Amino acid sequence: MEIKSMRFKANAAGSLANVVLQGNLKNAKGKFVTKRAEALKDLDDFEGTRDAAVAIRNKVIDNLDLWLERFERKAQETGATVMWAKDGAEVCRLVIEIAQKHGVTKVTKSKSMLSEEAGLNQALEAAGIQPVETDLGEYILQVDNNEPPSHIIAPAVHKSLDDVADLFHKVHGTPRKTEIPALTREAREVLRGHFLSAEMGLSGGNFLVAETGSVALVTNEGNGRMVTTMPKVHVVITGIEKVIPTLEDLSTLMRLLPRSATGQSISNYFSILTGVKQPEEHDGPEHLYFVLVDSGRADVVGTDFHAMLRCIRCGACMNHCPVYQTIGGHAYGWVYPGPMGSVLTPLYAGMENSIDLPHAATLCNQCGVVCPVGIPLPDLLRKLREKQTERGLRPLKERIGLRLWAWVAQRPKLYALGASLGARYLKWLAGDADRIRLLPAAPEWSLGRDFPAPQGKTFRELYAARRNRTGDKP
Amino acid sequence: MARVRVGLFVTCLVDLMRPRIGFAALKLLETAGCEVIAPETQTCCGQPAWNSGDAPGAVALAKKTIAEFEGFDYVVSPSGSCGDHIRTEYPTLLAAEPEWRDRATAMASRTYELTDFLVTVLKVDSVPGDHEGSITYHDSCTGLRSMGIKQQPRALLAKMKGVDLKEMNGCEECCGFGGTFSVKFGEVSAAIAERKCANVLASGAKAVVGGDLGCLLNIEGKLRRMGDESTQVLHVAEVLAGRV
Amino acid sequence: MSSREDILGRVRAGLQRNAGNAAVGREVMTAALSSRSQGPKPVFDAAPQALLERFRVKSEAQSSTVDIVAAEAEVPAAIARYLAAMNLPKTAVAQPALAHLDWAAAGLTVELRGARDADLVGITGCFCAVAETGTLMMCSSPATPAAVSLLPETHIAVVRASRILAYMEDAWNLARAELGSLPRAVNFISGPSRTGDIEQTIVLGAHGPYRVHLVIVED
Repeated sequence: MEIKSMRFKANAAGSLANVVLQGNLKNAKGKFVTKRAEALKDLDDFEGTRDAAVAIRNKVIDNLDLWLERFERKAQETGATVMWAKDGAEVCRLVIEIAQKHGVTKVTKSKSMLSEEAGLNQALEAAGIQPVETDLGEYILQVDNNEPPSHIIAPAVHKSLDDVADLFHKVHGTPRKTEIPALTREAREVLRGHFLSAEMGLSGGNFLVAETGSVALVTNEGNGRMVTTMPKVHVVITGIEKVIPTLEDLSTLMRLLPRSATGQSISNYFSILTGVKQPEEHDGPEHLYFVLVDSGRADVVGTDFHAMLRCIRCGACMNHCPVYQTIGGHAYGWVYPGPMGSVLTPLYAGMENSIDLPHAATLCNQCGVVCPVGIPLPDLLRKLREKQTERGLRPLKERIGLRLWAWVAQRPKLYALGASLGARYLKWLAGDADRIRLLPAAPEWSLGRDFPAPQGKTFRELYAARRNRTGDKP
Repeated sequence: MARVRVGLFVTCLVDLMRPRIGFAALKLLETAGCEVIAPETQTCCGQPAWNSGDAPGAVALAKKTIAEFEGFDYVVSPSGSCGDHIRTEYPTLLAAEPEWRDRATAMASRTYELTDFLVTVLKVDSVPGDHEGSITYHDSCTGLRSMGIKQQPRALLAKMKGVDLKEMNGCEECCGFGGTFSVKFGEVSAAIAERKCANVLASGAKAVVGGDLGCLLNIEGKLRRMGDESTQVLHVAEVLAGRV
Repeated sequence: MSSREDILGRVRAGLQRNAGNAAVGREVMTAALSSRSQGPKPVFDAAPQALLERFRVKSEAQSSTVDIVAAEAEVPAAIARYLAAMNLPKTAVAQPALAHLDWAAAGLTVELRGARDADLVGITGCFCAVAETGTLMMCSSPATPAAVSLLPETHIAVVRASRILAYMEDAWNLARAELGSLPRAVNFISGPSRTGDIEQTIVLGAHGPYRVHLVIVED
């Protein structure tokens, strides 16, 4: 997918000005946050479960090579073919090769963020193979001129009922419907035909189980089941970090994933798929392929950002992020928005292509608090800022300003002089008012708010005066 | 028992903008029986440098602050943000230098946010302030989520007869300040602040109170830009201490 | 170099892999795979009657409907009553595993096979059920084709009360004991298919069934 993260600020301004989007974000925020909080109540020991989940994920990523080899061997034993892709281009090449080998003309897809990373739909189309997104949200975006998703769990969360009504009327050529159930039914009927006629189903994978060589898939709509049951070929595309040890570990993680993502105690469909259709079976794919994708992940192993590999893509961090809640997902400019995206985009799509993202956070740590696998997201964002500075990627003015500030702050007399001049200057700017409308040193501040006037003298001046009066010695 | 010697870390924002908060903290600690010194060479804890990716600057300022404050029985600050930076981040950012890391760790366990110190260590049973009226409390992010500052200010405010606490919706949600975030992404920051201010106004309280000046400047600036002239914006130390 | 070797090579470099830490890593892996340790679980009464009650309550919370009968022989009649009450057709596809029940006697026309697009009602058994979340565990096999619970608009599942277990972990152990290895598809089903993709409004019947009806047999 094209990276538009360098335009974060302009994108964000556009999002703030989009009245429809603002309404949808407000609506979504309330629902995600409230439902998660409710769903955690019947999990008696959230902290304990989270600790267990952290341990499970760490166990794998700390020995990722061994677990990958183990998963590969088990998957091959079940009759699956395991392939490896270094980057998005290789993902596209492998999937097209598989499709061509089996004479595939149409691929039904359940949601896969890695497919978005790789730009797979465009590649399939170019190869004359029709990709059909079947998650309702992804389908809405696909038929709207391949618009990118704005949320990893609810891809079309930025669209309103009216948007979808107009879109389906135009694309399907049917009378315009205004009820959500009727629109859902219309999509169901269109997609049912695709499910039955596609020769190949393509899914992501929520987890890969090393014990059994299985892929675990979580969906609510049933489209994940459709694409892995009806076509004769099933291709799984997942990141190499998705391995977990056992089925018991899967159960532990499943107590957290749906609760964190959508506020459900369990998703409607949770499928653990192992191997291919047996001779007497009525349904199921005859061919199963795993494409294990690197796309930047291997280079994160063992670095300061290693903990990010624990991520299970629930989206709780973005649902709870004050910045995401304010501007939505598109502003982040790549596949993953919110705090998750502000870490993943620099790591996978290039630090130089996403200068703003690590800074587009207040470091409030709401994301870290809700993360079901305990990723210290604010620490990782801060670390990325440090890497940017080290690599000279920040604007020169900012770097000089910071260095100067730190230099002065190490020299108390100079600092005291600067502070008392600053206090007087700001007081002068405010004049008789108790506020400053436009702050020349930081015009960004003044875009949406005033700056309160200072008292006019610094604490240290007044404190020294008081000590002189009372005769205290410092 | 010898008087407890407290080093008051005023914070650079209080020094520049609101000295009266520093004096309020001083009064609260002295009233509770502490000997309080605000070392005159103190500047900034280094958090802005650390959060902006300037690790060398942050390390230098951490060492400076440790040298100034490690001789006190306790280090107290009227800020959960700066307090947490000293308590939690110093040992991390000095991890590569064992001697300094150990000094940071030794000081960390004696470093407190003001209300936490009054409640947890000093166990005060009264406060000198005489504020009257309804207030609503904004929980600043770092104090809340890293230092566990939630009940402490409320417990102290509950000791004041004239204070009527009206909790707002989303009191734990970020106000959008975020330090340098507020001047890098002004529009987004102000839009987040607008949600916070709407909750403040909806609470019906006459004053919004918090424990971190950065958030308070943000909230006050946004309230005034929104046309609200009446809601007072106060640091919890000012409310608790009364006239200084 | 193949992509596989390239990727694994960089992972190994990141982990500073050597013979020593590889041996330790293998021990960790072997221990994890053999101990199959379980995480914390919600605590609730696991007496049989309490499990049945919890399963019923949780299933209804997932928008499933529940009927309870005293013996398996009563299942066809119970399903006929449900279909009549819902004004649904008396024709259904059922998993071959349910061949032993007398469907005709209850006035139902039941075909025992895999599902087709035109099937309106699908009747299945289940491998077991999980009381924690109100969830059916379906294991695919020639006698239990997966699509019967997926393609029809109405899914009716027969659940033996003695197969209602407390946790998903119990279900794995039962599968290991009875099946040896996992079947091609294990599907955990918790209520009808749904979507919230338009304005986060939950709509039942996205791509799978609009309704799930459970007939619990008190055995």
